[in-house]
Amino acid sequence: MTPRYILIQTGRNLKQTWGTQIMTLITVSLSVFMFSFFFLVYTNMLNTGERLGDHIRLIVYMENEVPPEMEEQLATKIRQFSAVEKIVFKSRQDAFSDLSEQLNDDRDVLFDLGSDFLPPSIEVYPKRDLKSLTHIKLFSDFLANLPGAVKVQYGRDWIERFGSFTQLIQLIVLCSGILLILTATFMVASTIRLTVVSRQNELEILRLLGATKAYFQTPLILEGVIQGITGSIIGLTCLFSLYAWIKIKFAGPSFLEIFTLTFLPGSVTFSILFVSVSLCTLGSYISIRKFLKI
Amino acid sequence: MPQAPVSDSIIEFIKVTKIYSPDVVALNDISFNIRQGEMVFLTGMSGAGKTTLLKLICSLERPSKGLIEIMGEDINKMKSRDLQKLRQQTGVAYQDFKLLPKHTVYQNIAMPMEVTYMQPKQIKERIAFLLEAMDLTRKKEIQTDRLSRGEQQRVAIARAAANAPPLLLADEPTGNLDPTNTELVVNLFTALNQAGTTMIIATHDRSIYKETDHKIIDIDQGEITIHNNQAS
Repeated sequence: MTPRYILIQTGRNLKQTWGTQIMTLITVSLSVFMFSFFFLVYTNMLNTGERLGDHIRLIVYMENEVPPEMEEQLATKIRQFSAVEKIVFKSRQDAFSDLSEQLNDDRDVLFDLGSDFLPPSIEVYPKRDLKSLTHIKLFSDFLANLPGAVKVQYGRDWIERFGSFTQLIQLIVLCSGILLILTATFMVASTIRLTVVSRQNELEILRLLGATKAYFQTPLILEGVIQGITGSIIGLTCLFSLYAWIKIKFAGPSFLEIFTLTFLPGSVTFSILFVSVSLCTLGSYISIRKFLKI
Repeated sequence: MPQAPVSDSIIEFIKVTKIYSPDVVALNDISFNIRQGEMVFLTGMSGAGKTTLLKLICSLERPSKGLIEIMGEDINKMKSRDLQKLRQQTGVAYQDFKLLPKHTVYQNIAMPMEVTYMQPKQIKERIAFLLEAMDLTRKKEIQTDRLSRGEQQRVAIARAAANAPPLLLADEPTGNLDPTNTELVVNLFTALNQAGTTMIIATHDRSIYKETDHKIIDIDQGEITIHNNQAS
């Protein structure tokens, strides 16, 4: 089959059902935009989570100092429960030294208190990933039940809200992904069906003239591919424009100082494009199988 | 019309019966063969079974009984790919034309050549020749639904001849034509036949075969009689 014929025939198909083609294109573009938008938010949340992880630690205040022979045993127990970056055991003396250091020139205020007034503690630095962050409450409960533990301290409320919000975004990404699958597949399938129905007479005559399966199918498959490519390019371009606008609009001393906004990596962008094209092609193929009787 | 040299059998009907539901016998136990390069006229009254016979040859209908072989292949056992190939090699000018009304004359004639992926340059040249032969050059960019019946008929004939097929079937090809245009059609058929195309023409129009000595298959109530025309 010649590329010229395929292009001509595809052009004819697009022209014949242009109204539906535009509606499909808008739907595919919107679906790609919505999915990639939430995915962008999600990946930025992940990045932010990782950065937050740098500053997150759980401090387990102990009733008594942990004897050196017990440290390894406790560390193993903690690691068995959750992945951690590091565990630091602090004696009363260490805690006093840290506080003195933090007070710097004002350390004089500590002189009358003695060096053992602070409780010993274990500092646990969770792994810098979202899973650890979202399960931090569970982890904290576990640490609170360690033998000799008195209290566990961490930025509880904020981390929990962040975790819940990230889980919500995760759910939205999943839903918009399903939406993308449904719209891309079914909208394209129904457009191709319309093309087939509107060309029924022509297809019947072509059949009588001995047209092969490939002659009928290739332009219709290409139609799906074009819908996929165009739809995802439009969707992703809109997303990039929105991203660029936010970057410009919120540049300066605002939330972008805390959240460094980054666009989707090239590989992810390409994957979204590839998946959209595949889904549209699949929609086209389903319709051909169902409605094109040769 | 001068007769072309003939050789092997291209169409073979062996005891073929075609019954339409519930019990209309269109063809009854007919047997004949047509050799390659022959020009055959199917004659008979309206409803005699001429169109049914053509439909059986181009596999638009299946026989109720009997065997039909086209180019050595049993039409009932043909796979879809072989059937497509056969249809590419068979030009058919249908009685109801089967043209695409919103397509131009040019586009309609180009269809069978596009189906066989002929080069655009060749398509253009071939269409120019056919338009000239059918006196349709001035109409090539006109949609076929804006043409007269006679013009549509000539477009259908040009389309059937487009691929210079080994086998050409024409159902009442001059039914809507005046004597001048009938002559154009007859001239084109003669040229194709002399180039080796096997022609089967179903017609009422005695004028197109009375001057020839080609084979005539006369159909009457589903039965056939075969004889060679005695050119007058």
